[in-house]
Amino acid sequence: MFRLQGSKTLAVDLTGDAVKAKNGSMVAYDGQMAFKKMSGGGEGLRGMVTRRLTGEQMVMMEVKGQGTCYFADRASEINLVSLHSDTLYVEASNLLATDGGLRTGTSFTGLRGGASGNGLFTTTVEGTGQAAIMSDGSAVVLRVTPQYPLNVDPGAYIAHQGRLQQHFQSGVNFRTIMGEGSGESFQIRFEGDGLVYVQPSERNTVGGDV
Amino acid sequence: MSTPVVFDPMTLPSDDNVNAYTFCVELKGSQWFLQKGKMIAYYGQIDFNGIGHGRFERLIRTSFHSPLHASDWVVAEGSGKMLLADRAFDVNSFDLEDGNLTIRAGNLLAYQPTLALKQSIVPGFLTLIGTGKFVAASNGPVVFMEPPLRVDPQALVGWADCPSPCHHYDHGYMKGVMGGLRSLTGIGGTSGEEHQFEFVGAGTVLLQSTELLMPEQATGAVPHEPGVPGGGPGGGGQHGSTPRMPGQLGDLQRRFGL
Repeated sequence: MFRLQGSKTLAVDLTGDAVKAKNGSMVAYDGQMAFKKMSGGGEGLRGMVTRRLTGEQMVMMEVKGQGTCYFADRASEINLVSLHSDTLYVEASNLLATDGGLRTGTSFTGLRGGASGNGLFTTTVEGTGQAAIMSDGSAVVLRVTPQYPLNVDPGAYIAHQGRLQQHFQSGVNFRTIMGEGSGESFQIRFEGDGLVYVQPSERNTVGGDV
Repeated sequence: MSTPVVFDPMTLPSDDNVNAYTFCVELKGSQWFLQKGKMIAYYGQIDFNGIGHGRFERLIRTSFHSPLHASDWVVAEGSGKMLLADRAFDVNSFDLEDGNLTIRAGNLLAYQPTLALKQSIVPGFLTLIGTGKFVAASNGPVVFMEPPLRVDPQALVGWADCPSPCHHYDHGYMKGVMGGLRSLTGIGGTSGEEHQFEFVGAGTVLLQSTELLMPEQATGAVPHEPGVPGGGPGGGGQHGSTPRMPGQLGDLQRRFGL
């Protein structure tokens, strides 16, 4: 059972079950806990090879036991996500913890990843359960419906879930070349049905100043 | 609170804060000036155009008066709702009513075109004049103070209604041999607070609650003229400007974003 202790600490109540968490993110626990590093994030040999090849590095540990375990990472704000046989797409660096029963993997993001400075691949979390993602400042959750598509700055994007198509939009024109760019030339457009998580801060992106 | 609030275009606030770090602007065919790269997401049809766009000539004539600053600003135009945020700093909107406010250039995120933006005489600051709304970022919530007042330079965000800003040094502390030694070496305990900004006169002073500065934002150069503070090489009666190397474009480089 995931809950937030303040906005920057995740508390997980365990009764003999397991959670996966970012390696080294435990800050405190009570009760009996066992921590085990998961080679390749528990994705098996194939997952390990994929991660190594795609550069979507993620070092996870498995926490198992009785009691309450607290997780935090660099005072990042933590957001809880509930999944109901759903897929969450999140940058590996923004994923803090998931229920033991959720499957993690990698998927190709296309051009979007290239522009957001996070590589061309992203991490997927699949199944039913809870996950905790981190953001720089509290994240805003935005709903996307077929009537209301959403445009997001690649640097502020952290995660999305649901059935969403993403398109990479570029507004580069001759003004950009002339140095009169709008600073918002690269955007990801989300269409379909689902939720998008954005953080109130922008990573340095390749297209950031254009 | 275990489940986060989900926003859609209906539930997003109109011209108000979504949370402490995010501000939502509603555009209904209207325009907003926006510092480059501060938009994080938007719904609807919104165009972002650099200031140099010919269509905006009238708009810029009335509300944008710092030519060499132009490359840092864009005009958002259209209809929809857009979210603004800046490096996870606190953002807040302020209303000006036929007033004036001077703000550190890096702290200003966006403003309505009913306000006119001008460069302040104080280097690194911008002045907004008129009636309208603007959005500013600060590290920690903004505190409003009444002059007369002395403030730490790093905590200063801006000031409104024209109190007079000036430097203040604790002279007594720096005086004499011991004082000289202290100011040079720090030995003997300088408190780090010997230099302040002093405000006197009627008005309001805005402070942020940390001494962490927002990264400096280039405000653009002012014309090279005698009597213009910070008027670049040769400005302010100073000599010995660095000679320009051949092939160096100087200010033009900035202008064209090279």
